[in-house]
Amino acid sequence: MTIRRTLRGVLALSAAAAVALAGCTSRNDPGQDPEPGDDTGGAAVEDLTIAFVPKLQGIPYFEAMNTGGQQAAEELGFEWLYQGPTTADAAAQADIVRSFIQQGVDVLFVAPNDPNSMAPLLEEAQNAGVHVATTDTDAPDSVREVFVNQASVEGIGQALTDALMEAMGGSGQYAIVSCGETAANLNAWIEVQEAYTASEYPEAEIVDIVYAGEDQAMATQMATDLMNSHPDLTGLVGECTSSAPGVAQAVEDAGRIGEVFTVGLGTPQSMLPYLESGASSGSILWDVEALGYLTGWAGVQLATGGDLGDTSSLTDDSLSEVSYDEASGELLLGPPTIFTAENAGDYDY
Amino acid sequence: MTVTDARAPEEVSLRRILPPVVTGQEVVLLAVLAVLWVLLGIFTPAFLTAGSIGPLLVQVAPIALIGVGMTFVIITAGIDVSVAGMIMVCAVVTARTLVGADVPAVVAVALAVALGAVLGSVNGLLIAYGRVHPIIITFGTANVFTWLGLRVFDSSTVNNIPGTLSFLGRGAAGSTLGVPHSFALTLVAVAVAWWFLRYTRAGRNLYAIGGNQNAARLAGIKVQPRLVSVYLVTGALAGLAACMIIATGTSTLDQSVGAGKELQVIAAVVIGGTSILGGRGSVVGTLLGALLVQTVVSGVTQLGWPTQLGFLFVGVFILVAVGTDLIRERARRRA
Repeated sequence: MTIRRTLRGVLALSAAAAVALAGCTSRNDPGQDPEPGDDTGGAAVEDLTIAFVPKLQGIPYFEAMNTGGQQAAEELGFEWLYQGPTTADAAAQADIVRSFIQQGVDVLFVAPNDPNSMAPLLEEAQNAGVHVATTDTDAPDSVREVFVNQASVEGIGQALTDALMEAMGGSGQYAIVSCGETAANLNAWIEVQEAYTASEYPEAEIVDIVYAGEDQAMATQMATDLMNSHPDLTGLVGECTSSAPGVAQAVEDAGRIGEVFTVGLGTPQSMLPYLESGASSGSILWDVEALGYLTGWAGVQLATGGDLGDTSSLTDDSLSEVSYDEASGELLLGPPTIFTAENAGDYDY
Repeated sequence: MTVTDARAPEEVSLRRILPPVVTGQEVVLLAVLAVLWVLLGIFTPAFLTAGSIGPLLVQVAPIALIGVGMTFVIITAGIDVSVAGMIMVCAVVTARTLVGADVPAVVAVALAVALGAVLGSVNGLLIAYGRVHPIIITFGTANVFTWLGLRVFDSSTVNNIPGTLSFLGRGAAGSTLGVPHSFALTLVAVAVAWWFLRYTRAGRNLYAIGGNQNAARLAGIKVQPRLVSVYLVTGALAGLAACMIIATGTSTLDQSVGAGKELQVIAAVVIGGTSILGGRGSVVGTLLGALLVQTVVSGVTQLGWPTQLGFLFVGVFILVAVGTDLIRERARRRA
């Protein structure tokens, strides 16, 4: 009896823990016909299927990329598929990538949650005759043919720092609320912020860097804790789209608008109320729909053997600064965009 | 555990067989909490200011509130791992209603609580009458609820949520004389639940069911309705907690809402000294457990220590709490 009940208790606990690991589902895209993989070099654009697997589905950021991709599909005539996991989970993402390989898509774009574990899968896809590429987040040591990069690491890190320093008057203590502790792009930006702050703004100091996961409420609580433990803190950076509104909310709740300034990487719609109230001094991001469009365009170039360096067919203003670096295989969207109370309302994501 | 006879209880005899008002685990928790607060107060003087404690209590409120229901559930030797799914469904439906219909706060809260109660009663009915272990049932419904929530989200976020619920939030509107409304509400729930578990026949019955379900049934306790009610209450409280979560969030709600909350709630209950084997436990302990967890997490941030240490501390607390409970249980059986 004792043993059985002890076991039951242990089972209860371990199964409870398993929920966190297993609680992921994914939605299927409706109405897509599986096609056998074939060699598509120089194929007609009308027959192309280009698939994009985001880090997760259902957040404004990737939905906006999807909108851009769909727009490219309409204009250029290919079929655009979009499916991602409902949590930023590497294993669930891998399943979706596998299913796209089996469907024999022509081009596969991934924004990997875990670049290391994605690399062998990309190789598998390539062996199956699929053109593989990354967008939004790179998998540097993989067989990907191109990385569609939203903005350079330096560009983002420096724009964030400059925007914050402008609000803080070029000096003072600030802290960073980041998200995933292992997210390569976030960590790269933070490195630039640290170096750039040290070299350009010697009177400013980064006092702490904390990690809230992709949890907005956690980011708010951590920002609150940081403001309390550092009474002289006058700046906060929300390093991703969930922590950017999170830190602004913390400043608003604490009633310290005008004393503590925040900047972050937030989507315009989610930041608009904070930009208007002054809780956020600026949101640094890029035109996400344009990034989605560029992703679709790059897919067409890969599948048809086109030249990625020839950007003359990209006529929209949002794509005027696109550049291609052959050595690194990076297609760069351009410098980041700074959203303020004035222009954030113009974007519907 | 003690089973009160349905006809016997004169006040005196009931009092005599009740366990002490305060248990050892609660004293230990209170002591740990006090030591931590004093230490944090010394090392980061801002910790004990209103600007720090207030938001901490707001953060604790939804966890402790659901913890009240979860304590009932675990006392009956059950468990509910569908809490996160229930929060998600209640939060997204309420948020969409607030955006679309601009209903007053009372209606929004009532909607969330009613919806939570419906979801909870699904759990309760399946568990009481299906006679399958609660972890299996609620694991199943957790996934169904998550699916339901994602359907309502429909691959987008809920934007521009009005401040209707801000009286439950972190800001100035969320507290009176420095006491956050959400935490006050949770305190009331804890007090009522404490009285219910200790002094009502229905409350004592929960302990009896958790101690030995068959014996409880033979003693004439209506086991099934009682089981349905504990899951229903947990669901209703999850609905109310969802309102607090909307209020403390930003004006945007995304599908990560509620994620991981079921484990935070179970952690609070277990650290609070409620036996995962059923038959023993207290809501006061759960409240202290929730406070302890958030104190540690906030403390780690305020001390400038690496964030991941918070996980280590919470993990150790759970292991120590479960370990002492199992040792105590063994000692009791040997005695």
